This record gives sequence, structure tokens and C-alpha cells, in this order.
Amino acid sequence: MKYVDEFRNGEIARAVAAQIASLTDPDRHYKLMEVCGGHTHTIYRHGIKDLLPDQVELVHGPGCPVCVLPMGRVDEGITIAERPEVIFTCFGDMMRVPGSRGNLLEVKAEGADIRMVYSPLDALRIARENPDREVVFYAIGFETTAPSTALTLQRAKKEGIENFSVFCNHVTIVPPVRALLDSPDLRLDAFIGPGHVSTVIGCRPYEFMSEDYGKPCVVAGFEPLDLLQSILMLMRQLDEGRCEVENQYGRVVLWEGNVQALKSMAEVFELRPYFEWRGLGFIAQSALKLSPAYADFDAELRYSTPGVRVADPKACQCGEVLKGVLKPHECKVFGTACTPERPLGALMVSSEGACAAYYNFGRKSFEKVEIGSKG
Amino acid sequence: MRAEESMPAGYCTLDHDGCVTCSDAGIPVRVISLEGHDALCEDAAGNRAEIAVELVAPVHTGEVLLTHGGVAIGRLKPET
Repeated sequence: MKYVDEFRNGEIARAVAAQIASLTDPDRHYKLMEVCGGHTHTIYRHGIKDLLPDQVELVHGPGCPVCVLPMGRVDEGITIAERPEVIFTCFGDMMRVPGSRGNLLEVKAEGADIRMVYSPLDALRIARENPDREVVFYAIGFETTAPSTALTLQRAKKEGIENFSVFCNHVTIVPPVRALLDSPDLRLDAFIGPGHVSTVIGCRPYEFMSEDYGKPCVVAGFEPLDLLQSILMLMRQLDEGRCEVENQYGRVVLWEGNVQALKSMAEVFELRPYFEWRGLGFIAQSALKLSPAYADFDAELRYSTPGVRVADPKACQCGEVLKGVLKPHECKVFGTACTPERPLGALMVSSEGACAAYYNFGRKSFEKVEIGSKG
Repeated sequence: MRAEESMPAGYCTLDHDGCVTCSDAGIPVRVISLEGHDALCEDAAGNRAEIAVELVAPVHTGEVLLTHGGVAIGRLKPET
């Protein structure tokens, strides 16, 4: 499995799918959650759902940081971005996430200096090049992205760059998964674990799933065959009555994770007591803020953000979709009032968002199911 | 030899990395040269970029790293 073709080989995919089918009990319904938005994207882009037996349902998890960001945090970012002395920097997808009074792209059109970057290190470079301006980086992402912010802040501190700060919205993956497991709305059988988060945190943090909740978890890569093999590994566990954390993505993920990245994060960040997640509410110790040693770089302190709470639009059902209670196309505004061109909810904004993935790649699948069910 | 002929499969490339805010956009790149804590790296499509490598140090030319947001966060095991 070295090259792209081998990871996307249709013949092998069909053989793995046949093994999955052979392990499927026709009288049982299996609910497997892919935690990560990247997996959702792969599942729909490559039609993996169509290769699985009807009894195997894939439920989309909360693993898209843009999608779980509450509107209040978007509004606070916009408030900072509107300050005349500020150059506001963020990743591209963040530009279109709707706040209660527009998005960053609209604020940029009105004259705010907002710049898209590919790395927080680009934001630091902009700060070096503009010593008379204040450069703020809108940090967002799970544990895959947090090390790049940590490393950037370590470099900023070492270089003594004072006109740089971070509006920190980094979140952690384990607390929302635990919240989902505690949710009475949802009964899941097993989890497809996030591959690149696990590059940083390793596999050990998922052991609570099997030990405390009796749910198998397989950490998976992102090619179609990675996902199919992971589903097969989960189905084997369920068939044999096993309940373990397994690592399908061994070519990248070490069981103990990236210790250097974890050390860097531990120096720069500390856990927030609680953080609001769209659709999931407040979850204890589920997000990061800058540690006291890096308080000088904390945009929340520098600009005294008030911690605004804003309710989602009433028609938006992102919360139910995030919890896996509704499929994206079951939301009442899916594809009508809410499209990738004019998103109402965050799940339609990010290319990894479940609604955008459904809209772009999955519609044929559910149209087929619905037509079939009528007959 | 182009990187794509010798690199493990990747989900993303440097010019199309999906949603960078998402936790899943990991890009495999091969180290071309090193300068301090930064490395010039090339993805499977031949795109080159400077990547910070201190979180996976020590790094050697020819290694394949997994990058996210301009920072290397892991390395791919060599094929056997």
C-alpha cells in the first residue's frame, strides 16, 4: 500500500466490502461514528457508503472545528478584526463562517484588514513585517492544529515580537466524544478514530471508550481503503465480542503520539474550565487557552473580549446533525435556505462539514435510498 | 526522481489541502533540504514549501513528514 492507486484500488475495496458484508448480522443495525470531518469527506467523495451493507450506518461526528464553533466566538473575532490598528489573520474556511451579523469576508469587504494565511507562522511573518500594526491570528482546530499555534507562539516569544497575539479557539477531541457517549439521544456501536489528531495525541486517550463505555475504536487513515479496512476491523471486533482501541493508521500514528508536540502544547496552553460547542452545549475542559506564561500574546486579554453568547438561527439544525441525531439532508433548510454558496449553518461552510459533504457528494446516495423506500 | 514516484500516498497536497482548519488536513512531504529549524519540502505533486520541523526533530533530508499548517507534526514510517 505505497501509492495512491493502491490506496484507491477498486478491486481491493470491493473485496474488503465483501468481508464487511460477511461479518454483518442481517438482523442487527450497526451505528459507527466517524469522529473526524476529513473521514466524512472521504466517505462521500469516494462513495464508501454505497459499498456497505444497509445494516451498517455511518454517523458523522463533531470533528470539524469550524462546524462546532459557536456564533459568539465568530462575532468576537469580527469585533477584533474591525479595530483599525489590527491586521486580522485566519485560515480560509474561517472567512465564510456566519456570525450573527455577517462573516469575516463581508467585514473585509467593508474595509477591515483581514488576511488569509495557510499557517500561523505566516501570521507571525506579517507581524515582523508590520511592526507598527497589531497582528492577531484566529487560532482554531483540534490537536492537529494546536501544535502549529504553540510552535508559532514559542518562536514569537523567543524573538520578542510584541505586536502579535492569538485569539485562541483550539478544542480537544476527547471531551466531546465522551459527551456524545453520555448523550441519551444517541446509541453508537463503535468509533472510527481521527487519524491526524492521533498523530499528535496518540491512541491511549481513546482507551476510555472501550474501558468505560464498552465501545471499540479504530484510529483510521484518510484514503478510501484506510476507511474500509477500519470499518472491517470494527466489524471484526463487534463480531468477536472484542472491545479495544486499534490503530489502522500505523504508517503515521504512534501509540504514544508526538511527545515533542505535546510538550510544546503543554508549555503554551492550558485547559479552559469549560467551552461552548455548537449543538453540544458547554463541555468541561474541552478547549485550550493560553497559559499564564503566554498571557502577553492572548488576544482575549489584549482586547478584553466580553464572551458573548449568540443563539443559532432557529431554522438551523446543525446541533442535531452534529450529534448524529439527524442526517444532513433531514435538516429542514438543507439545500434550500442553506447551501455552500449561502450557508446558514457552519456545517455547510467547511468542505469537511457533514452538510457540505452531503451537498457536494452524497445527494445521489440519499435520493436513491428515498426513491427505493417509496417503492 | 519526482517526489510522487517515491512517496507514500497522501490525502492532500500543498496546493490543495482541503480544509486547513480541520484536524485532518495532513500533508505528506519529502524533505529536500534543511536550514536550522525549517526545511524545504516537496509534496507528491511537486509543490514546495518551507516547513517548521522542530516538533519532529531530528530531521534528515529524504524523510517523509506529515505537515499541517506549515508545521511538521509527524513522520511516515519508511516502506519495508
